[in-house]
Amino acid sequence: MLLLGLGRNAVAKADTNEQVLQGTLDLLILKTLSLAPMHGWGLTNRIEQLSNDALSVGQGSIYPALVRLEQRGWIGTEWRTTENSRRAKYYRLTAAGRRAFGQELASWNRFVSAVGLILAAES
Amino acid sequence: MRHHVWAVLSRVRELFRRRSRYDVEQDEEFSFHIDMETAENVRRGLSEAEARRAALLRFGGTQRFREETRDARGVVALDNVARDARFAVRRLRRGPAFAVGVIATLGIGIGAAVGVGTIVYDVLLRDLPFANPDRLVRVGFSTEGIGITGDLHSAATFLYFAQSARSFTELGAYSTSDGFAITDGDVPERVTVALMTPSVLTLLGARPMLGQLFEPGDTSWYGPRHSVIISENLWRRRYGADPSIIGREIHFDHGERTVVGVLPRSFGFPMPSVDIFYPAAVPVDAPQITSRYFSVIGRLRDGVSPSAAESELNALIPGLSKHFPEVTPDMLRASRARVTVQLLRDATVASVHAQMVLLGALVAIVLLIAATNVLNLFLLRTERAAREIAIGFSLGASRVALAQRFIVEGIVVGLAAAAVALPGAALAVTTKFGFTEREIPRLHEVSFSVETVALVLGCAVLVGVAVALVAFTRALKFGLIDRHREWTAASSRAWRRAQDGLVAFQIAIALLLLVAAALLGRSFWNLSSANIGFEPRDAVIFQVPLPWGPEGYVSYDKVATFHANLTDRLQRFSGVTSVGIALRLPLASRGAPNLDLQLQPAISAGRPAVPAAANVASAQYFSTMGIPLRAGRSFRSGDLRGAPAVIVSEDLATKLFGTTDVVGRRVKRLRDGAPAMAFTIVGVAGDVHWDRIERGYVPMMYFPLLRDGDGLPPDSNPIQYLPMVLQYAVRGTRLPSATAIQAIVTQLDHRVPAANVRTLRSVVDDATAHVRLTMLLVSIAGAAALLLALIGVYSVVAYAASGRIREFAIRLALGAAPARVCGMILGEGLELVAIGTVAGLCAAVGTTRFLRALLYEVKPTSVAEFGISTAVLVVLALVATLLPARRAARTHPAAVLHGE
Repeated sequence: MLLLGLGRNAVAKADTNEQVLQGTLDLLILKTLSLAPMHGWGLTNRIEQLSNDALSVGQGSIYPALVRLEQRGWIGTEWRTTENSRRAKYYRLTAAGRRAFGQELASWNRFVSAVGLILAAES
Repeated sequence: MRHHVWAVLSRVRELFRRRSRYDVEQDEEFSFHIDMETAENVRRGLSEAEARRAALLRFGGTQRFREETRDARGVVALDNVARDARFAVRRLRRGPAFAVGVIATLGIGIGAAVGVGTIVYDVLLRDLPFANPDRLVRVGFSTEGIGITGDLHSAATFLYFAQSARSFTELGAYSTSDGFAITDGDVPERVTVALMTPSVLTLLGARPMLGQLFEPGDTSWYGPRHSVIISENLWRRRYGADPSIIGREIHFDHGERTVVGVLPRSFGFPMPSVDIFYPAAVPVDAPQITSRYFSVIGRLRDGVSPSAAESELNALIPGLSKHFPEVTPDMLRASRARVTVQLLRDATVASVHAQMVLLGALVAIVLLIAATNVLNLFLLRTERAAREIAIGFSLGASRVALAQRFIVEGIVVGLAAAAVALPGAALAVTTKFGFTEREIPRLHEVSFSVETVALVLGCAVLVGVAVALVAFTRALKFGLIDRHREWTAASSRAWRRAQDGLVAFQIAIALLLLVAAALLGRSFWNLSSANIGFEPRDAVIFQVPLPWGPEGYVSYDKVATFHANLTDRLQRFSGVTSVGIALRLPLASRGAPNLDLQLQPAISAGRPAVPAAANVASAQYFSTMGIPLRAGRSFRSGDLRGAPAVIVSEDLATKLFGTTDVVGRRVKRLRDGAPAMAFTIVGVAGDVHWDRIERGYVPMMYFPLLRDGDGLPPDSNPIQYLPMVLQYAVRGTRLPSATAIQAIVTQLDHRVPAANVRTLRSVVDDATAHVRLTMLLVSIAGAAALLLALIGVYSVVAYAASGRIREFAIRLALGAAPARVCGMILGEGLELVAIGTVAGLCAAVGTTRFLRALLYEVKPTSVAEFGISTAVLVVLALVATLLPARRAARTHPAAVLHGE
């Protein structure tokens, strides 16, 4: 079917999409941004609260992940000025990203329940 | 592993990357992050310096993340492409009919186009491999008024122009001959020799591999040096690439020469088969004006065009009379002497110019047909996937992603087609379809190189992407239209009509080629079963050139004695039944028949002389060759006395006397400025051909080759004919090998080679080779065109049918018979086939006349061949139309209508 893999609504298939979801970091980013847009530093703070070792290699590891998600079209970016009059790049979920997050979460949950772990999070 | 590769690639990329906007932004983002973390640490109570250090630590390697973000930008894009490629491959595997059709069609088209195109380009358009080749020209001198064909100069005209003309920096003259033999060493060898003035080598910019070139004073017969230059091929082949060849003496059958230089293989002028270069003997003191055998080339001065040079030389022609008083101005005018100046490259390939252009055009048409077929197939498949594409669009798929999908598919198809095209192109370029430099000049310069490979890949991918993009523009329309409307109506009329026209065109071309192939096939069949007048099996032939010059065979008696001795020795070889000798063998001559005998019956009352070809034959020649003697007998001892005996061919007998019962009659040979010689006919031989069966029989008179000394002065030439090269035919149950033959000959005279040993059968094959080759080529082209046309018919009919699928579903649901639906589609397809067939027939009738030169006993408009080809084409096209028709008739109305 031509439909498969068309555009950005790829239904995750385990054999082709290992690169799409690199560990839990991407999922955590999507989850965090699903609540509100944020800049990179704010994201690292929130993620560190949710998971201990998602950023174990260093906070900076969030930036490659952000770039990948942006390339996929699941998040969008915008430069804004913060309260301290500093320029920061804000990230938000796109509509496609929102849909993808839902599907990714569903498949992740299936995976997780299959392994017998529970991811405690609001959906 | 893959990540390792990406890592290496990104390192390379980094070397070339300048700081992009992304890098600047990334750095700004990083510093924002670290500043925020630092501020947070300060709030927790650390000092400024410690806070920053802790922040940096927590951040991790800045440089590393910088690289990783850069990679992420690149890698993901590439990842998408890889994913699209895998997807394209999977789709192709699941639709093998489409895949095979497209890849085969494109592969054939591109393989043929690049293979043949390379040959055409290298022969016709590429510059000659000399310095400043656009300044090199050939100077021709024609005199149509006195019936001499060709454009060769005499020594006189060459010298005259060389001294008087201003348009050239240099002029040179050359001629070739293969009547020389090298006689040193154990095995004598016949060689092709080019005689050239030293200026030829300098104006071409030749560089010797070893030694040096000729000096201006070198000539071959006068002067002390007696130098020759040899080719690299000869140097390696006969002298083992011995570096001490320079200064060595080589023995020829007419004397010795010193080797002064070796020319490399790449020189190849005037032909790659030339082994020895002599300085040309241009007799400066007494140049002959009548014997013309020099080709003249020159280098134009800067700023002078070939036409300007031509004008200058033509203006110099009247001056010939002043230089050579024996040529009066009236004679010059009557001879219509004219000079032509032509680019050397064009002159070299003039004989095949038309054919090469035709070939190029044909191959371009084949490529066009192949590309349009592939386009049709792509459109058909896109049409079939219309529903999915429309759904995809409505779910938010981006146009860019779809375009990328199509383009990647086009590239994949292109690469697969290139894999098919490469062996085809390689085969074409390396075998050159079995042609040699004799038929097509400059063929030795054609080679298969990296550029050919690159060209195949480039073309294949380019065509694949172009086709994919056109299909994409069609696919775009699906998204814009509400899917409840008929996307079937989205195909525009004009597009359909263009497709139909193209397919009709393909059918016409296929029919044309099929008719040509049929005609040629019939011709070849006729040729193969024609009566050649001799028995080609179980015999071997070779040439024996005797040396001339002061130590050579200067009289008829010496020649005849040598050949008689050689015949005896050969007959003693076990297994040999008979040995015959002649000047010309049937079908083995070259070029137009040389009818230089003017014959009349001895008692004739003013009847015109009959032109005939001269031949020389030994007594056993006719029995060895299996040429029947229709009357009389062959030669025997004593035949040289009185009016010497001759044997005439049937055709000649009839032309002279009106009957073949001519044994005992006399015939006289007329000669300009000498009394006629009378001969007695002792036998009538069966007719044979000169060089080709198509020319028909040639009237021929055979003179005897006899050792016959009784009563004749030892030096006399009773028949005024002293051929130096004779052909031998040896028939037997077991035939000696080439080395055995050479050994026998060498025993008699170590200077004499036995050249060109081959079977008699090969003469017949060579004589039909050109027809066979053309027939093969046209048949292959015809088969390819037919295949492409059938694919075209299928795809167009299927395309049309798929567009009307809803209509068919409704009809079937309302109770129409499937056969009716089938019939509707069939009808439309047949209309197309009919138009194409009629067009093809008209084209065939108009163009097959150009094949006349190759057709033997077949009319260019022969009904049988036309009929068979048309029948084959129509039947196959019917089948191609039937397949999609039946498929449409089997539509499940429910499935189609419910799918709405």
